[in-house]
Amino acid sequence: MEILRGGAQPKQTYIKRTRTGRINIKAGNKVELVTKWTIAMLSVLTIMAFFFFDYTGLQLERAITETAYNLKTMFLEPTLSHFSWGEAFYQIGITVGLGILATVIGAIIALFLAFLAAENLSKPWISKTVRVVVAFIRAVPTVLWVLIFAIAAGLGSEAAVLGMLFHSIAYLVKAFSESFEEVDPGILDAMRATGSNWWHMVTHGVLPSTFTYLLSWTFLRFEINFGVAVAMGAAAGAGGIGFELFMASGFYFDLREVGFITYAILIIAIFLEIVSTQLKNRYFPAATKN
Amino acid sequence: MSLLQVNNLGKSYNSETQVLKDVNFTVETGEFVSVIGPSGAGKSTLLRCINRMVEINEGKVIFNNSDVGSLKKKDLRKLRTDIGMVFQHYNLVPRLTVIENVLHGRFGYKTTLQGVLGRFSEEEKEQAFFLLQKLGIEEHAYKRCDQLSGGQQQRVGICRALIQDPKLILCDEPIASLDPNSSKVIMDHLKSITNELGITCLVNLHQVEVAQGYSDRIIGLRKGEIVFDGKSALLREEQINHIYGTERRELITV
Ligand SMILES: Nc1ncnc2c1ncn2[C@@H]1O[C@H](COP(=O)(O)OP(=O)(O)OP(=O)(O)O)[C@@H](O)[C@H]1O
Ligand SMILES: [Mg+2]
Repeated sequence: MEILRGGAQPKQTYIKRTRTGRINIKAGNKVELVTKWTIAMLSVLTIMAFFFFDYTGLQLERAITETAYNLKTMFLEPTLSHFSWGEAFYQIGITVGLGILATVIGAIIALFLAFLAAENLSKPWISKTVRVVVAFIRAVPTVLWVLIFAIAAGLGSEAAVLGMLFHSIAYLVKAFSESFEEVDPGILDAMRATGSNWWHMVTHGVLPSTFTYLLSWTFLRFEINFGVAVAMGAAAGAGGIGFELFMASGFYFDLREVGFITYAILIIAIFLEIVSTQLKNRYFPAATKN
Repeated sequence: MSLLQVNNLGKSYNSETQVLKDVNFTVETGEFVSVIGPSGAGKSTLLRCINRMVEINEGKVIFNNSDVGSLKKKDLRKLRTDIGMVFQHYNLVPRLTVIENVLHGRFGYKTTLQGVLGRFSEEEKEQAFFLLQKLGIEEHAYKRCDQLSGGQQQRVGICRALIQDPKLILCDEPIASLDPNSSKVIMDHLKSITNELGITCLVNLHQVEVAQGYSDRIIGLRKGEIVFDGKSALLREEQINHIYGTERRELITV
C-alpha cells in the first residue's frame, strides 16, 4: 500500500540524466569531468605537435639506413676493447650496489613515513602534509634530484645515491601508504577494541597483512633504481657500468663496446627479475596467489 | 551498582540524522541481553558507544563505575581491556595463525615495546590454548586464520575476546554470516560463557527467535529509540511488530 502511494507523490527523484535525457550511471562529479577534459586536451596537443616540428635537414632515408647499420654493429658484433671482463664485472657490481643502497635505505625510511601518510593510521593533517611533500618530490625526476644534490656533494656516487634515495622514498611512501589503506578497517577496529595501542595495531595488524605488497613494491623500485644507476653513471659521473657506457659511446665512439655493455646490463636486469620472482614464490607464496 | 548504565545516550554521525535518541538502560553482572531491531536502527552504533569505538555525543555511559565518555587515552585503553568485542565478520588478521590472533587480546595489558616484540608470558599462552580447547578448535591453533571456516573463525574471535579477561562481551551480530548449525554452536558458547564464567553478554541479533531462546532480557531498538526492554518471555508478537514496524514480513521464517 505504502509503496503504491509513494509512487503517486510529487517526484523526488534520485536519477541523474544526461542532457539528452538518458539515465546516467556515472556519478558525474567534478573529478570525472576534469579527467575527461585533461585527456582530451592532451590528445589534441599531441596531434598538433607533429605539425610544428622542425623538419629541415631531415633526410629520412639516410637516417634510417645509418641507424640500422649502427645498430647492427652494436648488437651483432659486441666486443670489449678498453677494459677487461673482470673490470666489467666490477663496474656492474658498483652499479647494482648503488641501486641496492638507495633502495634498502629508501624502503626503511619510506616505511615510517608511510605510516604517517596512510589515512587510516594517521591524523588527517599529518597525512595530507606528508602526501603533498612526497608528491612534490616525486614530480621532480630522479636525474634532477641527483643534479641538485651534486651542487652540494659534487658530481659522483654520493650525489647519485642521495638523489635516488630521495626519489625512492617519495615513490615508496605512496606505494606503501596505499597498501596500508587497503587493510580491512575491521581488523583495526577489532584490535583497537582489545585496548591495543597504535604501535600494536601497526606491527601486528597492518604489517602482517601488507608485508608481501611492501616487498613487491620494494623489488619493483629496485629494478627502477638499477636502471637509474646506469643512467647516473653516465650523466652524473657516479661510476659503474653506466660510466663505461658513457665513455664507450661519447668518448671512444666504440659501437661494439656499447653493444657489449648493453647486453651485460640486459642480462643483469633479467637476472634480477628472475631472482625477485623466485624469492617471492619461495618465501611469500601468498603474494602471487592473492 | 549495575555493571553498565546507559543514561540519555544520544549519537549522531552528521547533523542531518540522529542515530540514537535518549537511550536509557542498565545491565547487571551476569545478564545475557539481546538487542534486536530493524536494519539501520542503530544497534551497532549503540554497542560501539559502550566501548567508545565511536564518540558519544549526548548523555552518559557508565561502565564499572567509570564514565566512558570522559576517559583519557590511557584510561580508555584500560577500559577496553574489560570489554571484549565479537564481530559479524570476525575481523581476524587473516595472514596470522589462530594462536597469534587469540593473543592479540592481550595487547591491552602490554606496554608498547612488549606488544611490538610480541612478548607473551607462558601463562598467557597456556590460557590461549585452554580457551581454544574450550571452544573446540585447539587442533587448528597453528593454522592461518584464512584457512578456517566462518564458524571456526568466529570461535577464534570469541577466544580473542575471552583472553582479555573481560567483564562484558559485546557481540555485533555474531551469527549473521553463519549457517544454522554453526550459529547454534556459537550461541551455545556465548550462553555458557555467561553461565559458567559469569561474564555479561550484550548481543546484537537479527533473529528474534534466537534472541528469545537465549537471552534473559531483550532490548528492542527502533529508529534509535528503545521501544521494548524486558524479559524475553514478555516479548509477544505485538511487541515484535512494534519494534520492526511494518518492515517485518512473514517472508522468512526459521
Ligand atoms: N560511520 C558512520 N558514519 C555515518 N553514518 C553512520 C556510520 N555508521 C552508521 N551510520 C548510520 O547510522 C545509522 C545506524 O547504523 P547502525 O550500523 O548502528 O545500524 P544497525 O542497527 O547496526 O543496522 P544493521 O542491522 O544493518 O547492522 C544508519 O543510518 C547508518 O547509515
Ligand atoms: Mg549493525
